[in-house]
Amino acid sequence: MSEETQIQHSTTETPGSSQAVPAPPALEVKGISKAYTERRRVTSVLNNVSLKVEQQEFVSIVGPSGCGKSTLFHIIGGLEQPDAGTISMNGSLVTGQRGEISYMPQQPALFPWRTIEDNVLIAGEIKGVPQDQAREEARHWLAKVGLSGFERAYPHMLSGGMQQRAAFLRALLAPQELMLLDEPFSALDALTRSEMQRWLLELWEENRRSVLFITHNIEEALLLSNRIYVFSGRPGSVLHTVDIPFPRPRREEITDSPEFLLLKRQLSQWMREEQEKSATTKG
Amino acid sequence: MRSTWKQLWPPLVAVIFLLTGWQLAVSLFHVEAWILPSPTDIIREFNANATGIWVHTLATLRLTLIGFPIGTAVGLIIALLLHLLPWTRRAFYPLLILSQNVPSIALAPLLVIWFGFGLLPKIILITLVCFFPVAVATMSGLAQSDGIMLNYMKMAGAGKWQIFTKLELPSSLPSLFSGVKISATYAVMGAVVAEWIGADKGIGYYMLLQKSAYHTDRMFVAIVIIVLLSLVLFAIIALLEKWLVRWKPRRNS
Repeated sequence: MSEETQIQHSTTETPGSSQAVPAPPALEVKGISKAYTERRRVTSVLNNVSLKVEQQEFVSIVGPSGCGKSTLFHIIGGLEQPDAGTISMNGSLVTGQRGEISYMPQQPALFPWRTIEDNVLIAGEIKGVPQDQAREEARHWLAKVGLSGFERAYPHMLSGGMQQRAAFLRALLAPQELMLLDEPFSALDALTRSEMQRWLLELWEENRRSVLFITHNIEEALLLSNRIYVFSGRPGSVLHTVDIPFPRPRREEITDSPEFLLLKRQLSQWMREEQEKSATTKG
Repeated sequence: MRSTWKQLWPPLVAVIFLLTGWQLAVSLFHVEAWILPSPTDIIREFNANATGIWVHTLATLRLTLIGFPIGTAVGLIIALLLHLLPWTRRAFYPLLILSQNVPSIALAPLLVIWFGFGLLPKIILITLVCFFPVAVATMSGLAQSDGIMLNYMKMAGAGKWQIFTKLELPSSLPSLFSGVKISATYAVMGAVVAEWIGADKGIGYYMLLQKSAYHTDRMFVAIVIIVLLSLVLFAIIALLEKWLVRWKPRRNS
Protein backbone atom coordinates (compact mmCIF):
# COMPACT_ATOMS: atom_id res chain seq x y z
CA MET A 1 0.00 0.00 0.00
CA SER A 2 2.69 2.40 1.05
CA GLU A 3 4.72 1.38 -1.97
CA GLU A 4 1.85 2.18 -4.25
CA THR A 5 1.46 5.67 -2.88
CA GLN A 6 5.18 6.07 -3.19
CA ILE A 7 4.99 5.26 -6.91
CA GLN A 8 2.07 7.57 -7.48
CA HIS A 9 3.92 10.23 -5.64
CA SER A 10 6.98 9.82 -7.79
CA THR A 11 5.09 10.74 -10.94
CA THR A 12 4.47 14.24 -9.70
CA GLU A 13 7.66 14.92 -7.80
CA THR A 14 10.82 13.40 -9.11
CA PRO A 15 12.56 11.66 -6.20
CA GLY A 16 16.22 11.02 -5.44
CA SER A 17 19.02 12.45 -7.45
CA SER A 18 16.89 14.40 -9.93
CA GLN A 19 15.23 16.31 -7.11
CA ALA A 20 17.81 19.00 -7.71
CA VAL A 21 15.95 19.82 -10.94
CA PRO A 22 12.38 20.71 -9.93
CA ALA A 23 9.59 20.66 -12.49
CA PRO A 24 9.46 23.97 -14.35
CA PRO A 25 6.63 26.26 -13.27
CA ALA A 26 3.32 25.95 -15.06
CA LEU A 27 3.57 29.63 -15.86
CA GLU A 28 6.39 32.09 -15.58
CA VAL A 29 5.84 35.73 -16.43
CA LYS A 30 9.10 37.64 -16.67
CA GLY A 31 9.47 41.39 -16.86
CA ILE A 32 6.31 42.07 -18.87
CA SER A 33 5.72 45.71 -19.85
CA LYS A 34 3.01 47.06 -22.07
CA ALA A 35 2.01 50.55 -23.14
CA TYR A 36 -0.64 51.83 -25.50
CA THR A 37 -0.26 54.83 -27.75
CA GLU A 38 -3.42 56.76 -28.36
CA ARG A 39 -3.30 60.09 -30.16
CA ARG A 40 0.42 60.37 -29.49
CA ARG A 41 -0.13 59.93 -25.76
CA VAL A 42 1.62 56.93 -24.35
CA THR A 43 -0.18 55.19 -21.50
CA SER A 44 1.83 52.61 -19.66
CA VAL A 45 -0.44 49.77 -18.53
CA LEU A 46 1.97 47.15 -17.20
CA ASN A 47 5.40 47.87 -15.84
CA ASN A 48 7.93 45.08 -15.42
CA VAL A 49 5.53 42.45 -14.09
CA SER A 50 6.99 39.12 -13.05
CA LEU A 51 5.09 36.29 -11.41
CA LYS A 52 5.04 32.55 -11.24
CA VAL A 53 2.52 29.76 -10.97
CA GLU A 54 4.13 26.49 -9.89
CA GLN A 55 2.66 23.15 -10.93
CA GLN A 56 -0.69 22.57 -9.20
CA GLU A 57 -0.65 25.90 -7.51
CA PHE A 58 -3.53 28.33 -7.07
CA VAL A 59 -2.23 31.87 -7.48
CA SER A 60 -4.28 35.07 -7.29
CA ILE A 61 -3.79 38.61 -8.49
CA VAL A 62 -5.56 41.36 -6.56
CA GLY A 63 -5.33 45.02 -7.40
CA PRO A 64 -7.29 48.21 -7.88
CA SER A 65 -9.41 48.54 -11.00
CA GLY A 66 -7.40 49.60 -14.02
CA CYS A 67 -4.24 47.87 -12.81
CA GLY A 68 -3.85 46.11 -16.16
CA LYS A 69 -4.92 42.68 -15.00
CA SER A 70 -6.98 42.06 -18.09
CA THR A 71 -4.15 43.22 -20.33
CA LEU A 72 -1.86 40.79 -18.55
CA PHE A 73 -4.34 37.97 -19.25
CA HIS A 74 -4.52 38.98 -22.88
CA ILE A 75 -0.75 38.85 -23.10
CA ILE A 76 -0.56 35.45 -21.39
CA GLY A 77 -3.34 34.21 -23.69
CA GLY A 78 -1.46 35.42 -26.75
CA LEU A 79 -4.04 38.00 -27.82
CA GLU A 80 -1.50 40.80 -27.45
CA GLN A 81 2.25 41.07 -27.71
CA PRO A 82 4.12 42.57 -24.76
CA ASP A 83 6.51 45.46 -25.38
CA ALA A 84 9.07 43.71 -23.20
CA GLY A 85 9.31 40.47 -21.27
CA THR A 86 8.57 36.82 -21.82
CA ILE A 87 5.93 34.22 -21.01
CA SER A 88 7.00 30.64 -20.40
CA MET A 89 4.87 27.61 -19.66
CA ASN A 90 6.32 24.35 -18.40
CA GLY A 91 9.76 25.59 -19.27
CA SER A 92 9.14 26.54 -22.89
CA LEU A 93 8.83 30.02 -24.23
CA VAL A 94 5.29 30.79 -25.47
CA THR A 95 5.21 34.59 -25.68
CA GLY A 96 2.43 35.64 -28.05
CA GLN A 97 1.27 32.07 -28.71
CA ARG A 98 -2.41 31.23 -28.58
CA GLY A 99 -4.07 28.01 -27.53
CA GLU A 100 -1.76 27.36 -24.57
CA ILE A 101 -4.13 28.24 -21.74
CA SER A 102 -7.65 27.49 -20.62
CA TYR A 103 -9.53 30.72 -20.09
CA MET A 104 -12.62 31.57 -18.08
CA PRO A 105 -13.87 35.10 -18.77
CA GLN A 106 -15.68 37.45 -16.42
CA GLN A 107 -19.05 36.80 -18.03
CA PRO A 108 -19.89 33.16 -18.62
CA ALA A 109 -19.79 33.83 -22.41
CA LEU A 110 -21.33 30.45 -23.16
CA PHE A 111 -22.23 30.02 -26.81
CA PRO A 112 -26.01 30.51 -26.86
CA TRP A 113 -26.55 28.17 -29.83
CA ARG A 114 -24.75 25.28 -28.17
CA THR A 115 -26.23 23.01 -25.55
CA ILE A 116 -24.50 23.05 -22.16
CA GLU A 117 -22.75 19.80 -22.98
CA ASP A 118 -21.48 21.11 -26.33
CA ASN A 119 -20.38 24.33 -24.67
CA VAL A 120 -18.33 22.44 -22.12
CA LEU A 121 -16.67 20.45 -24.89
CA ILE A 122 -15.70 23.34 -27.16
CA ALA A 123 -12.11 23.81 -25.99
CA GLY A 124 -11.25 20.21 -26.86
CA GLU A 125 -13.13 20.55 -30.13
CA ILE A 126 -11.02 23.57 -31.09
CA LYS A 127 -7.83 21.68 -30.26
CA GLY A 128 -9.01 18.69 -32.28
CA VAL A 129 -9.15 16.29 -29.34
CA PRO A 130 -11.33 13.19 -30.03
CA GLN A 131 -14.76 13.91 -28.59
CA ASP A 132 -16.27 10.53 -27.70
CA GLN A 133 -14.40 10.05 -24.48
CA ALA A 134 -14.55 13.75 -23.68
CA ARG A 135 -18.34 13.65 -23.98
CA GLU A 136 -18.58 10.91 -21.40
CA GLU A 137 -16.28 12.81 -19.08
CA ALA A 138 -18.31 15.98 -19.59
CA ARG A 139 -21.52 14.18 -18.61
CA HIS A 140 -19.85 12.81 -15.52
CA TRP A 141 -18.66 16.29 -14.54
CA LEU A 142 -21.93 18.02 -15.32
CA ALA A 143 -23.63 15.66 -12.90
CA LYS A 144 -20.92 16.34 -10.36
CA VAL A 145 -21.42 20.10 -10.43
CA GLY A 146 -25.18 19.83 -10.17
CA LEU A 147 -26.02 20.35 -13.80
CA SER A 148 -27.37 16.90 -14.60
CA GLY A 149 -30.59 17.18 -16.57
CA PHE A 150 -29.27 20.32 -18.23
CA GLU A 151 -26.88 18.61 -20.69
CA ARG A 152 -29.18 19.36 -23.62
CA ALA A 153 -30.41 22.74 -22.33
CA TYR A 154 -29.40 26.02 -23.90
CA PRO A 155 -27.48 28.53 -21.76
CA HIS A 156 -30.34 31.04 -21.44
CA MET A 157 -32.38 28.44 -19.59
CA LEU A 158 -29.86 28.41 -16.73
CA SER A 159 -29.47 30.79 -13.79
CA GLY A 160 -26.39 33.01 -13.51
CA GLY A 161 -24.68 30.71 -11.00
CA MET A 162 -25.38 27.64 -13.10
CA GLN A 163 -24.04 29.35 -16.23
CA GLN A 164 -20.89 30.24 -14.33
CA ARG A 165 -20.47 26.66 -13.19
CA ALA A 166 -20.80 25.52 -16.79
CA ALA A 167 -18.25 28.12 -17.88
CA PHE A 168 -15.90 26.90 -15.16
CA LEU A 169 -16.37 23.32 -16.28
CA ARG A 170 -15.55 24.40 -19.84
CA ALA A 171 -12.25 25.76 -18.54
CA LEU A 172 -11.62 22.73 -16.34
CA LEU A 173 -12.19 20.20 -19.13
CA ALA A 174 -10.06 22.08 -21.62
CA PRO A 175 -6.98 20.17 -22.76
CA GLN A 176 -4.65 22.94 -21.58
CA GLU A 177 -3.16 22.50 -18.12
CA LEU A 178 -3.05 26.09 -16.90
CA MET A 179 -6.34 27.83 -16.10
CA LEU A 180 -6.77 31.59 -16.21
CA LEU A 181 -9.83 32.75 -14.29
CA ASP A 182 -10.69 36.39 -14.85
CA GLU A 183 -12.90 37.61 -11.98
CA PRO A 184 -15.23 34.70 -12.56
CA PHE A 185 -17.65 35.55 -9.76
CA SER A 186 -17.85 39.33 -10.06
CA ALA A 187 -21.20 39.28 -11.85
CA LEU A 188 -22.90 37.14 -9.20
CA ASP A 189 -24.84 38.22 -6.14
CA ALA A 190 -23.16 37.92 -2.75
CA LEU A 191 -24.91 34.72 -1.70
CA THR A 192 -24.27 32.90 -4.97
CA ARG A 193 -20.74 34.20 -4.89
CA SER A 194 -19.81 32.70 -1.53
CA GLU A 195 -21.47 29.48 -2.55
CA MET A 196 -19.39 29.41 -5.72
CA GLN A 197 -16.20 30.13 -3.76
CA ARG A 198 -16.83 27.15 -1.52
CA TRP A 199 -17.63 25.06 -4.55
CA LEU A 200 -14.47 26.11 -6.38
CA LEU A 201 -12.32 25.48 -3.31
CA GLU A 202 -13.60 21.95 -2.94
CA LEU A 203 -13.36 21.21 -6.62
CA TRP A 204 -9.86 22.55 -6.92
CA GLU A 205 -8.52 20.68 -3.90
CA GLU A 206 -9.90 17.49 -5.36
CA ASN A 207 -8.58 18.11 -8.82
CA ARG A 208 -5.47 20.26 -8.52
CA ARG A 209 -4.76 22.29 -11.57
CA SER A 210 -2.43 25.21 -12.00
CA VAL A 211 -4.61 28.29 -11.69
CA LEU A 212 -4.06 32.00 -12.11
CA PHE A 213 -7.00 33.85 -10.65
CA ILE A 214 -7.89 37.53 -10.92
CA THR A 215 -10.18 39.03 -8.32
CA HIS A 216 -11.11 42.25 -6.55
CA ASN A 217 -12.24 40.31 -3.55
CA ILE A 218 -9.49 39.91 -0.94
CA GLU A 219 -11.33 37.34 1.13
CA GLU A 220 -11.89 35.23 -1.96
CA ALA A 221 -8.19 35.38 -2.82
CA LEU A 222 -7.13 34.48 0.74
CA LEU A 223 -9.51 31.57 0.93
CA LEU A 224 -8.49 30.00 -2.36
CA SER A 225 -4.84 30.83 -3.00
CA ASN A 226 -1.39 29.47 -2.26
CA ARG A 227 0.04 32.86 -3.12
CA ILE A 228 -1.30 36.33 -3.82
CA TYR A 229 0.27 39.03 -5.95
CA VAL A 230 -0.87 42.50 -4.95
CA PHE A 231 -0.82 44.83 -7.95
CA SER A 232 -0.33 48.58 -7.90
CA GLY A 233 -2.58 51.00 -9.74
CA ARG A 234 -1.77 52.01 -13.32
CA PRO A 235 0.79 51.23 -14.57
CA GLY A 236 0.33 47.83 -12.97
CA SER A 237 3.28 46.22 -11.25
CA VAL A 238 3.71 43.69 -8.48
CA LEU A 239 3.74 45.54 -5.14
CA HIS A 240 3.71 42.65 -2.72
CA THR A 241 3.90 38.90 -2.92
CA VAL A 242 2.09 37.14 -0.09
CA ASP A 243 2.35 33.41 0.58
CA ILE A 244 -0.78 32.12 2.25
CA PRO A 245 0.13 29.68 5.00
CA PHE A 246 -3.19 27.94 5.64
CA PRO A 247 -2.96 24.18 5.18
CA ARG A 248 -5.09 22.20 2.75
CA PRO A 249 -7.76 21.07 2.61
CA ARG A 250 -9.17 24.41 3.68
CA ARG A 251 -12.66 25.01 4.84
CA GLU A 252 -14.56 28.22 4.95
CA GLU A 253 -14.13 28.36 8.75
CA ILE A 254 -10.59 29.66 8.34
CA THR A 255 -12.07 33.01 7.36
CA ASP A 256 -12.81 33.51 11.09
CA SER A 257 -9.30 32.72 12.31
CA PRO A 258 -7.15 35.58 13.66
CA GLU A 259 -4.36 34.95 11.11
CA PHE A 260 -6.83 35.21 8.28
CA LEU A 261 -8.25 38.46 9.61
CA LEU A 262 -4.77 39.87 10.07
CA LEU A 263 -3.81 39.07 6.49
CA LYS A 264 -7.08 40.43 5.28
CA ARG A 265 -6.53 43.70 7.12
CA GLN A 266 -3.01 44.01 5.71
CA LEU A 267 -4.09 43.36 2.13
CA SER A 268 -7.08 45.67 2.45
CA GLN A 269 -4.83 48.44 3.63
CA TRP A 270 -2.46 48.01 0.67
CA MET A 271 -5.37 48.01 -1.70
CA ARG A 272 -6.88 51.11 -0.13
CA GLU A 273 -3.58 52.95 -0.40
CA GLU A 274 -3.28 52.03 -4.06
CA GLN A 275 -6.86 53.01 -4.76
CA GLU A 276 -6.28 56.40 -3.13
CA LYS A 277 -3.03 56.91 -5.00
CA SER A 278 -4.62 56.21 -8.36
CA ALA A 279 -7.56 58.44 -7.42
CA THR A 280 -5.27 61.38 -6.64
CA THR A 281 -3.18 60.96 -9.79
CA LYS A 282 -6.34 60.84 -11.88
CA GLY A 283 -7.91 63.87 -10.23
CA MET B 1 -52.67 28.97 -27.74
CA ARG B 2 -53.93 31.93 -25.73
CA SER B 3 -50.77 33.90 -26.43
CA THR B 4 -51.05 33.29 -30.19
CA TRP B 5 -54.57 34.64 -30.04
CA LYS B 6 -53.34 37.63 -28.04
CA GLN B 7 -50.77 38.39 -30.74
CA LEU B 8 -53.21 37.82 -33.57
CA TRP B 9 -56.26 39.84 -32.64
CA PRO B 10 -54.93 43.42 -32.90
CA PRO B 11 -53.88 43.17 -36.59
CA LEU B 12 -57.03 41.16 -37.37
CA VAL B 13 -59.26 43.84 -35.86
CA ALA B 14 -57.30 46.52 -37.74
CA VAL B 15 -57.76 44.73 -41.07
CA ILE B 16 -61.47 44.17 -40.46
CA PHE B 17 -61.85 47.81 -39.51
CA LEU B 18 -60.09 48.93 -42.69
CA LEU B 19 -62.16 46.64 -44.93
CA THR B 20 -65.40 47.81 -43.34
CA GLY B 21 -64.41 51.43 -43.85
CA TRP B 22 -63.56 50.73 -47.47
CA GLN B 23 -66.85 48.92 -48.06
CA LEU B 24 -68.87 51.70 -46.44
CA ALA B 25 -66.99 54.45 -48.31
CA VAL B 26 -67.57 52.81 -51.68
CA SER B 27 -71.30 52.39 -51.14
CA LEU B 28 -71.81 55.75 -49.38
CA PHE B 29 -70.04 57.83 -52.02
CA HIS B 30 -71.25 55.70 -54.95
CA VAL B 31 -67.74 55.09 -56.28
CA GLU B 32 -67.82 53.37 -59.68
CA ALA B 33 -66.57 49.78 -59.61
CA TRP B 34 -64.03 50.43 -62.41
CA ILE B 35 -62.39 53.09 -60.24
CA LEU B 36 -62.49 51.35 -56.90
CA PRO B 37 -64.35 48.09 -56.37
CA SER B 38 -65.59 47.27 -52.86
CA PRO B 39 -64.11 44.32 -50.92
CA THR B 40 -67.27 42.28 -51.54
CA ASP B 41 -66.96 42.96 -55.27
CA ILE B 42 -63.40 41.69 -55.17
CA ILE B 43 -64.37 38.55 -53.29
CA ARG B 44 -67.18 37.89 -55.74
CA GLU B 45 -64.83 38.30 -58.68
CA PHE B 46 -62.27 36.09 -56.99
CA ASN B 47 -64.81 33.27 -56.60
CA ALA B 48 -66.09 33.63 -60.13
CA ASN B 49 -62.66 33.64 -61.66
CA ALA B 50 -60.87 31.20 -59.37
CA THR B 51 -60.08 28.51 -61.95
CA GLY B 52 -58.88 31.03 -64.55
CA ILE B 53 -56.54 32.74 -62.17
CA TRP B 54 -55.14 29.54 -60.71
CA VAL B 55 -52.91 28.94 -63.75
CA HIS B 56 -51.43 32.40 -63.38
CA THR B 57 -50.91 32.00 -59.65
CA LEU B 58 -49.05 28.73 -60.21
CA ALA B 59 -46.85 30.34 -62.85
CA THR B 60 -45.89 33.20 -60.53
CA LEU B 61 -45.36 30.81 -57.65
CA ARG B 62 -43.08 28.69 -59.78
CA LEU B 63 -41.07 31.72 -60.86
CA THR B 64 -40.79 32.92 -57.26
CA LEU B 65 -39.73 29.52 -55.99
CA ILE B 66 -36.94 29.37 -58.54
CA GLY B 67 -35.82 32.98 -58.23
CA PHE B 68 -35.99 33.44 -54.46
CA PRO B 69 -33.62 30.60 -53.47
CA ILE B 70 -31.18 31.66 -56.18
CA GLY B 71 -31.33 35.29 -55.04
CA THR B 72 -30.88 34.29 -51.39
CA ALA B 73 -27.98 32.00 -52.25
CA VAL B 74 -26.28 34.75 -54.26
CA GLY B 75 -26.77 37.14 -51.31
CA LEU B 76 -25.26 34.62 -48.90
CA ILE B 77 -22.30 33.86 -51.13
CA ILE B 78 -21.56 37.57 -51.57
CA ALA B 79 -21.82 38.15 -47.81
CA LEU B 80 -19.48 35.25 -46.98
CA LEU B 81 -16.98 36.27 -49.63
CA LEU B 82 -16.91 39.91 -48.60
CA HIS B 83 -16.62 38.92 -44.95
CA LEU B 84 -13.84 36.37 -45.34
CA LEU B 85 -11.79 38.47 -47.76
CA PRO B 86 -11.70 42.02 -46.39
CA TRP B 87 -10.15 43.48 -49.56
CA THR B 88 -13.12 42.31 -51.63
CA ARG B 89 -15.33 44.13 -49.17
CA ARG B 90 -13.54 47.41 -49.76
CA ALA B 91 -13.64 46.86 -53.52
CA PHE B 92 -17.21 45.68 -54.00
CA TYR B 93 -19.30 47.18 -51.23
CA PRO B 94 -19.88 50.48 -53.09
CA LEU B 95 -20.83 48.52 -56.22
CA LEU B 96 -23.30 46.55 -54.15
CA ILE B 97 -25.07 49.70 -53.06
CA LEU B 98 -24.92 51.06 -56.59
CA SER B 99 -26.70 47.95 -57.86
CA GLN B 100 -29.67 48.91 -55.67
CA ASN B 101 -29.82 52.45 -57.00
CA VAL B 102 -30.75 51.21 -60.46
CA PRO B 103 -34.54 50.74 -60.46
CA SER B 104 -35.52 47.21 -61.44
CA ILE B 105 -38.28 48.54 -63.71
CA ALA B 106 -35.64 50.35 -65.75
CA LEU B 107 -33.43 47.29 -65.85
CA ALA B 108 -36.17 44.92 -66.99
CA PRO B 109 -36.35 45.98 -70.67
CA LEU B 110 -32.55 45.78 -70.93
CA LEU B 111 -32.60 42.26 -69.56
CA VAL B 112 -35.14 41.32 -72.22
CA ILE B 113 -32.90 42.74 -74.94
CA TRP B 114 -29.92 40.80 -73.64
CA PHE B 115 -31.54 37.52 -72.61
CA GLY B 116 -34.83 37.30 -74.53
CA PHE B 117 -38.25 36.41 -73.12
CA GLY B 118 -37.33 33.14 -71.45
CA LEU B 119 -36.83 32.22 -67.82
CA LEU B 120 -33.33 33.62 -67.50
CA PRO B 121 -33.99 37.41 -67.53
CA LYS B 122 -36.81 36.91 -65.01
CA ILE B 123 -34.58 34.94 -62.66
CA ILE B 124 -31.89 37.59 -62.99
CA LEU B 125 -34.40 40.30 -62.09
CA ILE B 126 -35.65 38.45 -59.00
CA THR B 127 -32.07 37.75 -57.97
CA LEU B 128 -31.20 41.42 -58.28
CA VAL B 129 -34.09 42.34 -55.98
CA CYS B 130 -33.49 39.53 -53.49
CA PHE B 131 -29.77 39.28 -52.96
CA PHE B 132 -29.20 42.71 -51.45
CA PRO B 133 -31.14 42.48 -48.17
CA VAL B 134 -29.67 39.04 -47.52
CA ALA B 135 -26.13 40.16 -48.29
CA VAL B 136 -26.23 43.31 -46.16
CA ALA B 137 -28.00 41.72 -43.18
CA THR B 138 -25.71 38.69 -43.20
CA MET B 139 -22.59 40.82 -43.43
CA SER B 140 -23.57 42.97 -40.48
CA GLY B 141 -24.52 39.82 -38.55
CA LEU B 142 -21.12 38.26 -39.26
CA ALA B 143 -19.30 41.38 -38.12
CA GLN B 144 -21.20 41.68 -34.86
CA SER B 145 -20.17 38.58 -32.98
CA ASP B 146 -19.58 38.93 -29.27
CA GLY B 147 -16.13 40.29 -28.33
CA ILE B 148 -15.70 38.17 -25.20
CA MET B 149 -16.56 34.99 -27.07
CA LEU B 150 -14.16 36.02 -29.82
CA ASN B 151 -11.38 36.49 -27.25
CA TYR B 152 -12.26 33.14 -25.73
CA MET B 153 -11.99 31.43 -29.12
CA LYS B 154 -8.65 33.08 -29.86
CA MET B 155 -7.13 32.19 -26.50
CA ALA B 156 -8.34 28.63 -26.92
CA GLY B 157 -6.27 28.58 -30.11
CA ALA B 158 -9.07 28.74 -32.69
CA GLY B 159 -8.03 29.62 -36.23
CA LYS B 160 -9.84 31.95 -38.60
CA TRP B 161 -11.95 29.21 -40.09
CA GLN B 162 -12.96 27.81 -36.70
CA ILE B 163 -13.89 31.28 -35.52
CA PHE B 164 -16.00 31.65 -38.64
CA THR B 165 -17.84 28.34 -38.41
CA LYS B 166 -18.20 28.08 -34.65
CA LEU B 167 -18.80 31.71 -33.72
CA GLU B 168 -19.48 34.17 -36.53
CA LEU B 169 -21.79 32.05 -38.64
CA PRO B 170 -24.10 30.89 -35.84
CA SER B 171 -24.25 34.32 -34.25
CA SER B 172 -25.15 35.88 -37.61
CA LEU B 173 -28.20 33.63 -38.05
CA PRO B 174 -30.81 35.96 -36.50
CA SER B 175 -29.77 38.88 -38.65
CA LEU B 176 -29.35 36.62 -41.70
CA PHE B 177 -32.97 35.61 -41.26
CA SER B 178 -34.23 39.16 -41.05
CA GLY B 179 -32.57 39.73 -44.42
CA VAL B 180 -34.12 36.57 -45.88
CA LYS B 181 -37.55 37.63 -44.60
CA ILE B 182 -37.30 40.96 -46.40
CA SER B 183 -36.14 39.16 -49.54
CA ALA B 184 -39.09 36.78 -49.31
CA THR B 185 -41.53 39.67 -49.61
CA TYR B 186 -39.48 41.24 -52.39
CA ALA B 187 -39.30 37.97 -54.32
CA VAL B 188 -43.00 37.83 -55.22
CA MET B 189 -42.92 41.48 -56.22
CA GLY B 190 -39.84 40.81 -58.35
CA ALA B 191 -41.60 37.90 -60.05
CA VAL B 192 -44.61 40.08 -60.90
CA VAL B 193 -42.44 42.84 -62.33
CA ALA B 194 -40.53 40.20 -64.31
CA GLU B 195 -43.80 39.00 -65.79
CA TRP B 196 -44.70 42.54 -66.85
CA ILE B 197 -41.75 42.65 -69.17
CA GLY B 198 -42.69 39.63 -71.18
CA ALA B 199 -44.64 36.53 -70.27
CA ASP B 200 -47.65 34.63 -71.46
CA LYS B 201 -48.88 33.65 -68.03
CA GLY B 202 -48.45 34.66 -64.40
CA ILE B 203 -50.05 37.21 -62.11
CA GLY B 204 -48.03 40.04 -63.65
CA TYR B 205 -49.24 39.10 -67.13
CA TYR B 206 -52.81 38.79 -65.79
CA MET B 207 -52.59 42.28 -64.29
CA LEU B 208 -51.52 43.82 -67.60
CA LEU B 209 -54.35 42.03 -69.35
CA GLN B 210 -56.98 43.26 -66.87
CA LYS B 211 -55.58 46.77 -66.84
CA SER B 212 -56.11 47.19 -70.54
CA ALA B 213 -59.70 46.01 -70.08
CA TYR B 214 -60.33 48.35 -67.10
CA HIS B 215 -61.14 45.30 -64.98
CA THR B 216 -60.23 47.05 -61.75
CA ASP B 217 -61.81 44.36 -59.60
CA ARG B 218 -59.59 41.73 -61.19
CA MET B 219 -56.57 43.94 -60.63
CA PHE B 220 -57.42 43.85 -56.97
CA VAL B 221 -57.82 40.08 -57.10
CA ALA B 222 -54.28 39.95 -58.46
CA ILE B 223 -53.05 42.21 -55.66
CA VAL B 224 -54.72 39.99 -53.05
CA ILE B 225 -53.00 36.96 -54.54
CA ILE B 226 -49.62 38.72 -54.51
CA VAL B 227 -50.13 39.64 -50.87
CA LEU B 228 -51.15 36.11 -49.96
CA LEU B 229 -48.16 34.59 -51.77
CA SER B 230 -45.79 36.98 -49.99
CA LEU B 231 -47.36 36.20 -46.64
CA VAL B 232 -47.09 32.46 -47.13
CA LEU B 233 -43.46 32.71 -48.19
CA PHE B 234 -42.74 34.97 -45.23
CA ALA B 235 -44.43 32.58 -42.83
CA ILE B 236 -42.40 29.64 -44.15
CA ILE B 237 -39.17 31.56 -43.61
CA ALA B 238 -40.31 32.64 -40.14
CA LEU B 239 -41.01 29.01 -39.24
CA LEU B 240 -37.62 27.94 -40.55
CA GLU B 241 -36.03 30.67 -38.45
CA LYS B 242 -37.90 29.58 -35.35
CA TRP B 243 -36.57 26.08 -35.82
CA LEU B 244 -32.98 27.03 -36.66
CA VAL B 245 -32.63 29.78 -34.05
CA ARG B 246 -34.45 27.85 -31.32
CA TRP B 247 -31.56 28.53 -28.93
CA LYS B 248 -32.54 32.17 -28.72
CA PRO B 249 -34.42 33.24 -25.60
CA ARG B 250 -37.96 34.42 -26.24
CA ARG B 251 -38.33 38.10 -25.68
CA ASN B 252 -41.52 37.95 -23.65
CA SER B 253 -40.53 35.22 -21.23
